[in-house]
Amino acid sequence: MNNPKKESLSSVIYNSMVRNNLVLVLGTAIAPVIVVANTLKNAAILALTFSVITFFTMLLSSFIPQKLVYTVRVIIYIAIGALVYVPTAIIISSLFPQALQNMGIYFPLLITNSFIIFHSDTAFLTEKKGRMMLDLILGIIGYDIVVLIFGLIREIISTGEINGNVITLPILFKAFYQPFGGFILLGIFAAVLRGILLLIKKVSN
Amino acid sequence: MSELFRLISISLVLIFVENTVFTKAIDTSTLISVSRNRKNIFGFWLCAVYFSVVTGFLGFFADKFLLESGIKNEQTYIYQPFVYVAILGVVYIITLLILWKFFYKKFLKIKKFIHLSALNCAILGAMFLNSQNCTMLSEYIFRGIGTGLGFMFAIYITAIVYDRLHDASVPYCFRGYPLTLIYIGIISMAFYGLASTTVR
Repeated sequence: MNNPKKESLSSVIYNSMVRNNLVLVLGTAIAPVIVVANTLKNAAILALTFSVITFFTMLLSSFIPQKLVYTVRVIIYIAIGALVYVPTAIIISSLFPQALQNMGIYFPLLITNSFIIFHSDTAFLTEKKGRMMLDLILGIIGYDIVVLIFGLIREIISTGEINGNVITLPILFKAFYQPFGGFILLGIFAAVLRGILLLIKKVSN
Repeated sequence: MSELFRLISISLVLIFVENTVFTKAIDTSTLISVSRNRKNIFGFWLCAVYFSVVTGFLGFFADKFLLESGIKNEQTYIYQPFVYVAILGVVYIITLLILWKFFYKKFLKIKKFIHLSALNCAILGAMFLNSQNCTMLSEYIFRGIGTGLGFMFAIYITAIVYDRLHDASVPYCFRGYPLTLIYIGIISMAFYGLASTTVR
């Protein structure tokens, strides 16, 4: 993304995971977050599947020659994603038989997630391999952390439970369990992150 | 005649009631991105409808092939995405080649956004939803039309308020992306009330 020589490791981590967070800042692959991540367990499975598919797709895509026109290259990225999906689906379904049913069509749709289509060329695949890997891993971790926190809070406020364990809450917002609630809650999350970033900027100045 | 009305009503339901963006959140990322850059929005719309209809049409034969190939029903989900991506890829490449060969000026304009309108979750998602809900070829085609036009409708609804959502009078924390999500959420709530169906 930026010049690696001028950046310390902490600023690389901060930029990749927080300042350019895939979900809350760049708005990448938000459909499964809105629909699937309505409990902590579903969020964990989404984080796992997203991480595996995106990491291996981007890794293999980085070997595609950049000389090819992007309009053509992008279909190769998606074909790689579809290839990566097959073993991932077999492994995930054997480890978590219920997981694929819970995710429905959102699992295969990870193949065409906007991270692979939009951001692959603008950020990651134009970098050197080492830096690309670091940014990619940090970006994915940033996505996973947000998805897990989002799933946890959504489960608590909409069902009054954490992974099936009941918590006594004075009021429940069941609407947040639905996709429209997911949109609104994710919007609030994005606003909170922006507020935190603004606060950090003010403090550091 | 009644069959034609039924098929048209399938398309209308997919545009105004069970809109894939507002009820299933499919391809919200592309929606936000396209509504931000409204320069080529009409071309994007046309391309999205074209790909949705053509892949819907070919999806019928792909589903038939998968059904007859002897792959067990519970294993279809493993191979189905690969087949669909192959169809999408072939349609995409052939379209690019035709445009390049016969409409070169159009090709130069379209190549900036054609990958966004073709290779997105709305088109691939429509293929999966078709395979779950359709049995006849005509249903695949009309659902394809409905999904494409529904995606257009969702982009239009988001694009018309873009300036207001990004207005300087909106508090900085909510300006732009966060408020767009909340806005889509409120529209989605209205659609959800209309559809009153479960997702997936």
